[in-house]
Amino acid sequence: MNLLEFARGPAMQAATLVLVVGMFWRVTGIVLLRRRVAHAAARNPFAMRLLGGAVTVFTRTIPRRTFWPRVGTGVALSYVFHVGLFIVLFGGAPHILVIHEIFGVSWADLPKGVVVLASGLTLAALLALLVRRLTQPVLRLLSTPDDYISWLVIFLPLASGILLSGETVASYGTLLAVHLFSVELLMIWLPFGKLMHVALVFAGRGVLGYNFSRKGAVT
Amino acid sequence: MNEIAPPPVDVAKALRGFIGDIGPNIALSLESCVHCGQCAEACQFYVQTGDPRYTPIHKVELFKQSYNRELGPFAFAYKFLGLTPALTAETLTNWQDLVYDSCNMCGRCSLICPMGIDIADLVEQTRHGMYEAGLAPADFLGAIAQKEHATGSPFGLTSDTFRGLLHDIGVKYNVVMHVDEARADIVPTVSSIDVKTYPGAMAAIAKILNHLGQSWSFRTDGFDADNVSLTAGDRPGQDAITQGIIAAAISCGAQILVMPECGHSFTEMRWEAANAYGKDLPFRVLQITELVAENIQSGKLRVNKVVQTATYHDACQLSRRGGATAAPRVIFEALGVDLHELEDAGDANWCCGGGGGVALIKRAQPLRDAAFAIKQKQIEASGAPIVYTSCSGCRQTLEHGGKAAGWSTNVGSLLELVADNLAQ
Amino acid sequence: MSAADATLGEMLGKSGFSRRGLLKFSIAMTASLALPPGVASAMAANLAQARRQSVIWLSFQECTGCLETLLRTSSPTIAALIFDYISLDYQEALMSAAGSAAELTLRQAVAANRGKYLLAIDGSVPVADGGVYSLTGGQANVSMLQQFAPDAAAILAIGTCAAYGGIPKAYPNPTGAVGVEDVITNKPIVNIPGCPPVPEVLSGVLVYFVSFGRLPDLDDRKRPLAYFGTTIHDQCYRRPFYDQGKFAKSFDDEGARQGWCLFELGCKGPTTHNACASLKWNDNTSFPIESGHGCLGCSEPDFWDQEGGFYTSLAGGKGPGWEDTGIAAAGGIAVGAAAAFAARHKTAKPPQGPQK
Repeated sequence: MNLLEFARGPAMQAATLVLVVGMFWRVTGIVLLRRRVAHAAARNPFAMRLLGGAVTVFTRTIPRRTFWPRVGTGVALSYVFHVGLFIVLFGGAPHILVIHEIFGVSWADLPKGVVVLASGLTLAALLALLVRRLTQPVLRLLSTPDDYISWLVIFLPLASGILLSGETVASYGTLLAVHLFSVELLMIWLPFGKLMHVALVFAGRGVLGYNFSRKGAVT
Repeated sequence: MNEIAPPPVDVAKALRGFIGDIGPNIALSLESCVHCGQCAEACQFYVQTGDPRYTPIHKVELFKQSYNRELGPFAFAYKFLGLTPALTAETLTNWQDLVYDSCNMCGRCSLICPMGIDIADLVEQTRHGMYEAGLAPADFLGAIAQKEHATGSPFGLTSDTFRGLLHDIGVKYNVVMHVDEARADIVPTVSSIDVKTYPGAMAAIAKILNHLGQSWSFRTDGFDADNVSLTAGDRPGQDAITQGIIAAAISCGAQILVMPECGHSFTEMRWEAANAYGKDLPFRVLQITELVAENIQSGKLRVNKVVQTATYHDACQLSRRGGATAAPRVIFEALGVDLHELEDAGDANWCCGGGGGVALIKRAQPLRDAAFAIKQKQIEASGAPIVYTSCSGCRQTLEHGGKAAGWSTNVGSLLELVADNLAQ
Repeated sequence: MSAADATLGEMLGKSGFSRRGLLKFSIAMTASLALPPGVASAMAANLAQARRQSVIWLSFQECTGCLETLLRTSSPTIAALIFDYISLDYQEALMSAAGSAAELTLRQAVAANRGKYLLAIDGSVPVADGGVYSLTGGQANVSMLQQFAPDAAAILAIGTCAAYGGIPKAYPNPTGAVGVEDVITNKPIVNIPGCPPVPEVLSGVLVYFVSFGRLPDLDDRKRPLAYFGTTIHDQCYRRPFYDQGKFAKSFDDEGARQGWCLFELGCKGPTTHNACASLKWNDNTSFPIESGHGCLGCSEPDFWDQEGGFYTSLAGGKGPGWEDTGIAAAGGIAVGAAAAFAARHKTAKPPQGPQK
């Protein structure tokens, strides 16, 4: 079995299983801790609280206007990265193909040039975010190895994917194997570091929205 | 700096205090931080000083580390691979000013966090462990909390003293006082700052309650709602105060428990007390502005028009943390005050800098001043000659800050404004 | 067929082919071998002088498709004459001798050309159980290979089976099929993979050897670089559609009818080295992609066992499947629950108030 076949087969299987085990482990470990019922009289009925939680998942995507002067740049940069990545992942033909093969659903892909442009902007934003993290005092204080490892396991698939789509630097088979290995590395790391925010962000916003709707307070 | 040698830091107790109450909600918060740094930009202490140590989520770092090592899904890996360090007396001591001096628990950070982490709440939880370790700032704050634990009042006031005080206020302000009645529909509570500095506030409550006509009574077995134990992180003390107030209200069959002009006392009794009690409370909990607004809206309470230009400072615990932002506006409208709202008024307001017990920490004065500078600018920009508030803590902080700034702006209590303008 | 003394030039002259014709053929061969143009006249001169090269062809665990493709080589008369000139001294399907007469032929051919014959092998070499799964005249193929390889000038492993084990090697490989290079390690080997190989590739290698007395340049898989140095993808006429992102989504859909790229239908062109896209089949008529079906990757090792099969694109592969994923999820929940209950034990203090 050559490297590419290994990447497409056993390595993909192992990485997927690690990803699944890790995510369920971490979420279960949180959810099953000892909980207490909140007894204080709620200001809003249950349905409103649920709605509040759901809405907060969306409203927290944009900071309140009053915060814009201080966080606007960083948030914008982060969105260039996230939206660009979204475009590449869900608009790029080969990725839609993988999703179709796993889940049986697909949709029209975006023109290749659009995806190429998005990937370039995503890469630029990702690099800028790293520079930011390395130079801004608050981020320097907060950052741990997790932050840098997480950055790297995102960077590698992005960079290798760009090279693969351009079919430069090495043969197609080698580039594809490297790209797949980098994705598998990402999958293995995801449940254990801050990349788990792909799942936790919904839970956290939802719970805060629910709890604050309970109080009739702003979410 | 400290005259008394501080007691040795109890690391084991700190750890137990940190992890003892963690459930799924807190755990989710501790798992979610992506180190984006936005919370710093919402915090008055970071914004005004530029010191990254005041980044809100950084304040709870030891709390988070303890969770990861002891309770998290990967705790065994954290511990045995040493992924995160164990608590030491030194680090706990280094974190003292982050957890106490530089946090009002105002919740602006919770408002900005894109991951939905209620950071202000995490700070409150962190204080439990710090207190157990003996690391609540000894001067003032810790002493007060211990006194409160012993007597029910931060200043060591006993029931008898308070009863006498209320009598004197009744005489001085010519208002009927009901004290320790066996049966009362409404039970008001007071803030220790009112007791010490603004006795007129107690007279004002009495005046309004008399005007409403329902039976009411102060209860000297549960009167001081300030709950400094809460801000100190003294969990048993916090509980004791709360249970005392609940017991007092129940024993006279209260329908409504009225919270004074105070921030944390409201969030404690309105949102936490029932949990300490273990079931739904048999009475409603309303902050005084809520009670007034409700009765204005139902027509039971009428006020005269006041020709005045004013602005209003929201107490964080009433607005953003408590959900009672609207009530003061109802009152101002009924009073006909020309209200110049501050920038970011209401839910996104900046803290006065004195909340969460910070006002009681002497050495935190420079930090408080730095935070207050924001309010100062905002209040001056409003062009109003007077700023009202509905929290004695804020009132005191604004007065002290204003005095230091050489203000001509007055500081007033919304409660007292209402009490002074009741329509006959 | 026995070795004749006439040179190729003389033979061709007798058949009415001028030197000009031989030169034209050499130019075509030079181009197909990607050799510099000046070589053509040297090749023509050499070919004119060439003696018939002995080729001994042993067929092992094969389907005879490689021989059939060879016979389909349609560079018409010249190629046929070249093969007349190459002395195909032993080939079980084509020769008239059979039985012990065939065995005698083989021994004589080896003896007469010791050290000089090209040993052509098609079919895989089964080695399991002493090689009993493919016998010729009672002798195991692996034994035959070991017997006749030492006296050969070089070995041509024709077809993917001979080169890498091919279809018989597919899981579970009950016969222990392997390629020639796994059995013989001390003799020059040229792999000419393909299932079957392109006929002109084989004739090109032979012409090169006949012309220059040595094997053409090989890549790290022992394949002639001239034919296997690029991938189908590199030469494919549908490449512009790939670059533009125009893909057929299913067989006979609108995109397929427009001749769009077949990547999403499993084409392995990007990872397959062969000359199909340029030389094509049946005298440059067509090749699988042009006929509307993706490349199977048949000239690559283990193409039959590739992850996900022929119709899973290179973007996909073979994941763990829903059952295994479900088991993994359950496992994660179990471990997470264990961690949570260990943690609950630590928070088992009597309620001190609100807990979130």
